[in-house]
Amino acid sequence: MGSLRRPLRLIVRILPLALLAICAALGRAQQSAPPTDIVFRGATVMTASHGTFEHGSVWVHAGKIAGVGATVDAPSSATTVDATGLWLTPGIIDPHSHSALDGDVNEATIPVTPSMHMIDAFDNRSADLYRALAGGVTTELLLHGSANMIGGQAVVIKNKFGLDRDAMLFPNAPGSIKFASGENPKRVYGSRDQLPSTRMGNFEVMRMAFEDAKHYMADWDAYDAKVKKGDKDAVPPKRDLKLEALADVLRGKLYVQIHCYRADEFLTEEAIAKEYGYKIRAFHHALEMYKVAPQIAADGTAIATFTDWWGFKDEARDAIPWNAVMSMRQGVRVALKSDSDDHIRRLNVEAGKMVHYGGATEDEAIRMVTLNPAWTIGVDDRTGSIDVGKDADLVLWNHDPLSTYARAMKVYIDGDLFFDASLPAGELPISPASCTTAAASAPTTRRTDSDETSGSCNRDCYALCGSRPGARGGYPAPVESRRHHRR
Amino acid sequence: MGNATEVKIPKGAQIVDARGLTVYPGLIDPESNFGLTEISADSATNDLEERSDEIMPHMHVGDAFHSETELIPVARLNGVTNAVVAPASGDSVAGQDIFIQLYGSRSQMMLATDVALAMNYGAEQRRRGSGGPGSGRAAYPSTRMGLITELRQNFLDTQDYMAKRDAAAKKDDKAFRRDLKFEALIPYLKGERPVVIGVYESYDVETIMTLAREFHLKVILNHVTQSQDILDEIASYKVPVIIGSIYDAPRADERYDAVYTLPAELAKRGVKIAISSADGGGPASSHSARNLPYAAGFAVAYGLPYDDALKAITLNVADMFGFGDKLGSLDVGKMANVVLANGDPLDVRTDVKQVYIQGIAVPMVSRQTQLRDEYSK
Repeated sequence: MGSLRRPLRLIVRILPLALLAICAALGRAQQSAPPTDIVFRGATVMTASHGTFEHGSVWVHAGKIAGVGATVDAPSSATTVDATGLWLTPGIIDPHSHSALDGDVNEATIPVTPSMHMIDAFDNRSADLYRALAGGVTTELLLHGSANMIGGQAVVIKNKFGLDRDAMLFPNAPGSIKFASGENPKRVYGSRDQLPSTRMGNFEVMRMAFEDAKHYMADWDAYDAKVKKGDKDAVPPKRDLKLEALADVLRGKLYVQIHCYRADEFLTEEAIAKEYGYKIRAFHHALEMYKVAPQIAADGTAIATFTDWWGFKDEARDAIPWNAVMSMRQGVRVALKSDSDDHIRRLNVEAGKMVHYGGATEDEAIRMVTLNPAWTIGVDDRTGSIDVGKDADLVLWNHDPLSTYARAMKVYIDGDLFFDASLPAGELPISPASCTTAAASAPTTRRTDSDETSGSCNRDCYALCGSRPGARGGYPAPVESRRHHRR
Repeated sequence: MGNATEVKIPKGAQIVDARGLTVYPGLIDPESNFGLTEISADSATNDLEERSDEIMPHMHVGDAFHSETELIPVARLNGVTNAVVAPASGDSVAGQDIFIQLYGSRSQMMLATDVALAMNYGAEQRRRGSGGPGSGRAAYPSTRMGLITELRQNFLDTQDYMAKRDAAAKKDDKAFRRDLKFEALIPYLKGERPVVIGVYESYDVETIMTLAREFHLKVILNHVTQSQDILDEIASYKVPVIIGSIYDAPRADERYDAVYTLPAELAKRGVKIAISSADGGGPASSHSARNLPYAAGFAVAYGLPYDDALKAITLNVADMFGFGDKLGSLDVGKMANVVLANGDPLDVRTDVKQVYIQGIAVPMVSRQTQLRDEYSK
């Protein structure tokens, strides 16, 4: 990208060193923990689960929602946010993102790669995360691409941009695995004269993999039974990462998320799922769901769909913007998703289109980008609506979030402020306490490499310092993707 | 036009009850590829650019325009009544645009052919041999230096050709051989018609504007979404600017809204702006042209005054391409391209109820509504 990029890269290389030097000092100077109690007053509160309160209030206690309604029982010590004239919604949830993976979305060398883990490619410093955060996105499912029939295992993140990688993982979120179908796998392998090059081949590749997995599972079940009987000479089967992952599918331990466009393929996918005894959590893209919605609704499979993209390839030719609402009216749980570093920044406006195309109520529309994608990911008991006991993942908007004119003004995750539109470039409102707390509560915090520490300042502290006012240029990080991802 | 009580209505006129509806001029997309594409991934349905050479002014969009494309009714249903159709951006000089209306027979739809020259400058046009299908092996010009040198040489060659042609005409020299490429460039080097220059980065803008001024081109700048550092300079050029996509990602060191605010920032500096339907993350084609009004609405969310936003997708576009006296506003004497909607035209929730093109109430039907209706039975 030419010579202008070079000074920037230099700054970025030097910056961490400078930051480490000032880190301890800053850490001591700024001890502002996020307030234990926050009350938002006077907002139009769209709960996504139980309607909208005009002039409503929401009480947040220790990162969880403690009250919601016309009035709340918050202590007088609570920090009050005057939200008069603003809208408050649950954080936007994107059930289909490929952000922050540096393009490592397809291990497109063999068509079945279930042991590929998205977490291994996750770059928590990507500017795309910051831009999504600025659009109110608090949770994302980072998925594999669609080159492979079985691509690999996804990762769920909370968009706590500015924190350490592990502090951004959604604690104890259920696992998801990405399947694909249709044009992409057959094109990728067909162009190399390999299997699959047809939809027949696509599905047979899956069946063959599950046949192997069934035998693998049986071997392990037999071994476990021997051990249970006290057989000390039992020899465990050899572990196979690929078959282990597929066995997890057959055992129902992973949510199956399938890239699938055409009506006939939804039916075939459901038939194969029944043949091998697993459930499909959601069809992604699902542009022809309106043709077979009642049948899929009966299977309990949701969809995560585009609103109005069409015609980009043959299997997207029959896409219609009424798909989401028509499918919803026939009993399918509908989530909207981005599949794009662009659209992820304005999923609220995409939801607004559902009022136009098919006459969704505002309640139904907001649910398509909050509670329904939360269900798709399997975190609907923790986030996705403004209900007592749920994580305080909240967005304050300056306008009705379903209109073209809405801007996210403040974004809270677990009750802590992670985005504030009033701050200039490179500045994030993260407090040192939130950094420490988040790092401590992360499920799989990696051991800090001693080379990356300097005095009292570890990796988490570095992430924090990079986001302090004055540390301009540190964040957003220099991970660039001007041309957005394509399906 | 005026208050309902004041407008004189002739006897026998058809009265449309539009109480409660918003009436506004048909929207005009300043950059589309209607009729040059059908299914993006299916190369047989695409006639977007001739990649065999970088300088292709003699490619006429009007020759390839497929008026029966399914894309046009889809866009029309959301109030888009007119558009500029341009080739894709792979060539330094990609060809000549047409100006269309989105209804009628093919000849009725093409309101004007060869209305502007489509130029592009930046990283994309370099022949590096790694740019995907059609890019072939690395060849000249593989750098920006090469691109500019090639453009300058072609412009000089055209001037030379003009002189020779004029001399031959004076002598009535029947042996003079016409060169279609140079012929195509002549009206643009004479400044008779606009040259739309697609360019993103600020340093590329400065480079190409130096060349454009050297040859006195009548410039319309296009894109400029990575040029926030030279907005005052862009304003000083006194040329109109098409902004698109407003959804292009900002640079890594910029605020999240650096591109969202671009229309407002340019308008504030007195620049005549248009906003295109280009969709940063969507299909790189006019499949998403129906979202044109929302791009303008997005610009309003980020500071552009509402009237300026509406002009950026109506009157300003008409002005830029020579249709200011015929289109782009509800004024007496103009073509009756009128849209009726149930709310604010720039709001994503609004439903367009009826579109009129040259006074004809166009059928509110597309292949998509047909599919919807078929599966709603």
